[in-house]
Amino acid sequence: MSTLSPDRWRALSPYLDQALTLGAEERAAWLASLQQKDPSLASDLEALLQEHQSLARKNFLEHPPETAPIQLALEGQAIGAYTLLSPIGQGGMGAVWLARRSDGRYERQVAVKFPSLALLGGGGGERFKREGRFLGRLAHPHIADLIDAGVSADGRPYLVLEHVDGDQIDRYCDRNELDLEARLRLFLDVLAAVAHAHANLIVHRDIKPSNVLVTTHGQVKLLDFGIAKLLESESSEGAGTQLTREGGGAMTPEYAAPEQITGGQVTTATDEYSLGVLLYLLLTGEHPAGAGPHSAAELVKAIVETEPPRPSDAVGPSRLSREAASTNAAKRSTTSEKLHRALRGDLDTIVAKALKKLPRERYASVTALADDVRRYLKHEPIDARPDTLAYRTAKFVRRNRTAVALASLAVLGPIAFGLAMAFQARTIARERDRAERVSEFLVNLFQVSDPGNSLGNTVTAREVLDRGADRLEKDLAAEPEVQASLLLTMGRVYLRVGLFQKAEGLIERSGDTRERLLGKEHPLTLQSRFFQASAINLQGRRQEAEKRFRDVLASQRRVLGEEHPDTLNTLNALGVTLSFEGRSAGAVPMLRDVLEKRRRILGNDQEDTIWSLSNLGFALSGQGKFTEAEKVNREAAQAFERLHGKDHPTVLGALQNLVRAIEGQGRFAEAESLQREVLQAQGRILGEDHLDTIAAESVLARLVGENHRIDEAEGLFRATLEHQRRVLGPQNASTLATEYNMASTFYWDQGKFDKAESMLRETYELAVQAKDPIHARLSAYNIACLAVRRGDRKEGLDWLRKSIENGFRDVPAMLQDSDLASLRGDPEFDRLAAAAGQDTSSPLPASR
Amino acid sequence: MEVTITSLMGAAERGDGSAAEALFSALYDELHRLAKRELARHAGPVSLGATTLLHQAYIDMAAREGSSFPDRGRFMGYAARVMRGLIIDHARNRYAQKRGGRFEITRLRTDVAENVVDDRELSRIGAALDELAKLDPVLAEIVDLKFFCGFSFAEIAGIQGVTERTIQRKWEKARIYLHRSIRAELPQ
Repeated sequence: MSTLSPDRWRALSPYLDQALTLGAEERAAWLASLQQKDPSLASDLEALLQEHQSLARKNFLEHPPETAPIQLALEGQAIGAYTLLSPIGQGGMGAVWLARRSDGRYERQVAVKFPSLALLGGGGGERFKREGRFLGRLAHPHIADLIDAGVSADGRPYLVLEHVDGDQIDRYCDRNELDLEARLRLFLDVLAAVAHAHANLIVHRDIKPSNVLVTTHGQVKLLDFGIAKLLESESSEGAGTQLTREGGGAMTPEYAAPEQITGGQVTTATDEYSLGVLLYLLLTGEHPAGAGPHSAAELVKAIVETEPPRPSDAVGPSRLSREAASTNAAKRSTTSEKLHRALRGDLDTIVAKALKKLPRERYASVTALADDVRRYLKHEPIDARPDTLAYRTAKFVRRNRTAVALASLAVLGPIAFGLAMAFQARTIARERDRAERVSEFLVNLFQVSDPGNSLGNTVTAREVLDRGADRLEKDLAAEPEVQASLLLTMGRVYLRVGLFQKAEGLIERSGDTRERLLGKEHPLTLQSRFFQASAINLQGRRQEAEKRFRDVLASQRRVLGEEHPDTLNTLNALGVTLSFEGRSAGAVPMLRDVLEKRRRILGNDQEDTIWSLSNLGFALSGQGKFTEAEKVNREAAQAFERLHGKDHPTVLGALQNLVRAIEGQGRFAEAESLQREVLQAQGRILGEDHLDTIAAESVLARLVGENHRIDEAEGLFRATLEHQRRVLGPQNASTLATEYNMASTFYWDQGKFDKAESMLRETYELAVQAKDPIHARLSAYNIACLAVRRGDRKEGLDWLRKSIENGFRDVPAMLQDSDLASLRGDPEFDRLAAAAGQDTSSPLPASR
Repeated sequence: MEVTITSLMGAAERGDGSAAEALFSALYDELHRLAKRELARHAGPVSLGATTLLHQAYIDMAAREGSSFPDRGRFMGYAARVMRGLIIDHARNRYAQKRGGRFEITRLRTDVAENVVDDRELSRIGAALDELAKLDPVLAEIVDLKFFCGFSFAEIAGIQGVTERTIQRKWEKARIYLHRSIRAELPQ
């Protein structure tokens, strides 16, 4: 049976169907029985089945037909006046081809670049050509010429560039073992090219080693100038804004400036930052973020938050293995010890200035950077100043201060006091019964007017609560569901009055009970877990809170869906937590998402919607996008006002966020005047002694300080502190925050170090008594800095140890803090850093 | 009356031979246009899956022709047949025409070369498939969808409205038929 007639196939077909459904053994039996009935059919079938086995072995038709990749179609194709020869590269930016002029008028080969259209903004081919011509005039010996730009016959935009045959600058330097001076001279050529472009109002935006080539003759050539600009959308164009554009678009994360990551304004300072990274690399052989590989998230954190180690430290033995250090040094024709010493000082300072996180703190221009490099080469004093002690510390402290002072404001949003919410509208008898039990319990809770009670009428809310919590445990043990609900309610009340630790315990038990009764992913269990994470968050254990919020969120997404109010609530809280962690860039998209969904689902004027608007404003401030933050916070304040009327605590809270946005833009006078309004309204509505009123007083004190009315500010700080001590008690977290802030920023900034230190010591003692690890570790850390500043290293180490014992874990800050610089290399310091880095609650190793 | 893909499909299903031809060429043009558009969007070596292309074609055409457009299963049956023609034509002409405005349907090469069907073999498979289509059009369609267009069994099951098991069984049957038809020329 070599050929198969159609008739034969039709006859065999149903049998084949049957055979193919059978297993091997069944099939054999089945074939045997068929053999009896119709031998010829059976043998044909057997032949086909054998054929099946053989084709299966050969993977017949298993692999789809291979067709040639598209290069074949492009090769030899004419693009404008050029003929494509061979592909040179292919990347996210698009494809690059080697080409020559079709008419032979021009001997040299060129590079034809097809930008990926995904990156190409609006505006179409005409704009592309026009811009291309504009860029073509950017003639400089160190910039690869843009020869032509256009759109091919089949609609693909392309660029024709000078083809540079060279090596990327870092490899060139290493291969030729160039010493620091030779490297700096090459770098000056790069700076000259960039300065020329900046003078022509063109920002590169993607400076990196692979875009900086050195020819065999040692000539520097920058590639791709203005390409990034061509990829911009038309709408962002404008005569006055050539040099300032929103971030995004084309860039390479490893060389991107913080503002490119966070979506800030891209300016000439952005190129300067990338040049700083390049210089760092040329000098040290290391990337500022340290040896890779990095995840995208690590890299973003490194760029946006972490101060890179100084170049001199980067080549040192503490960061590199002896072997790596000497290899790096050998490529610079020196030894690692000499390299370390050569970098220390001026080169450290120059690089640090170029790599400032804030664009305005970098050199004013690339030319200014070049000037300092030249001064260094001529052994003249450079212009850039090393960071002062106060500057570095103040920055560190400020970051913590925001978190401490605003923690209670934004995370929880409105905390419903009443139990009505949880139980209203439920008609099931059991629920109603439970609701009654709950109200009864609460009523009893507040009946504390026993005249014989030694507390008399001075019983505090705290005592009422504590008593309630005790009774909750005993009285409702037989009704675990009711107990769980009440535990959560009590926990939320504790949250409201700032007793976070106590709250956490109660809420955790509520969650555990619900988990046991209802299951891990029951909406009520998840509700308890949500508040548990909130309580953890308020105690400053941000990472733990973040993880828990993420877990709850994942479950809620699964169980309740993307758009359920609880899911959105958690996403909102997660966003706020991230802002507190200083990761506003991550928070902003989440909060935008919540806002968008709530707007759609709930409408613009619903309370939760406005809360997310307000939180978004908060995060935007954290991201340094104060202009947008101002707009958003203003909108939130107005919306709350429409909803609640002018004098409402929520409106005032929103205005408080607005003050922060205004302050961030340096408009201190305006911020102060708004703050005074807020404060006055709070006094009127909430009372002088309300938590928020007092918090607002301390903000005002700070603003008056910013407006340089130092005596007045000091008076306000003192008054706030007294007020808090009287109302909240000296060991209250807010009281401690004020004291801490006053010492570590206000006095410190003025150089009143003695005053700062004695105040911090007081804060520390009170915080320890209050079992408030946040303020204990922050004040101990700052005392350590001040002690080292006085020259007392021993005492500095002792205080550092106390800080770590109280949970200080920010090892990068500690290692890079210039206040602690003189401790570096001390074995005890290293030991402390290692202990802090372990991030456990295990006790520290014994002191020396 | 405007000639639409919808009306052509209707006529072809009623046995109108010239409508079937017109349908084939209309779909051919459409896929060609889509592929060119994809090519222009990427401006470089591009891996353009036949599956993606067909899905896109369906969405495009269904949107254009409105609610009376045939269901996805019927459409895919025709379109996959056209795709087979495109791929085989391309294989035949590959070395004859290297440049110009042609497009190519490509696939990332992830397998070893010896398992890949060569151009001549592809032509023979095409011819055998035409024979099979006369005998058992459903089997031929499965080969078009699976081998030429890269759909999974599950997707094909969805398109034809039968179980995945059935599709697998029919696929094996089609393989046997095709292998038998061309094996004289296959390397053993």
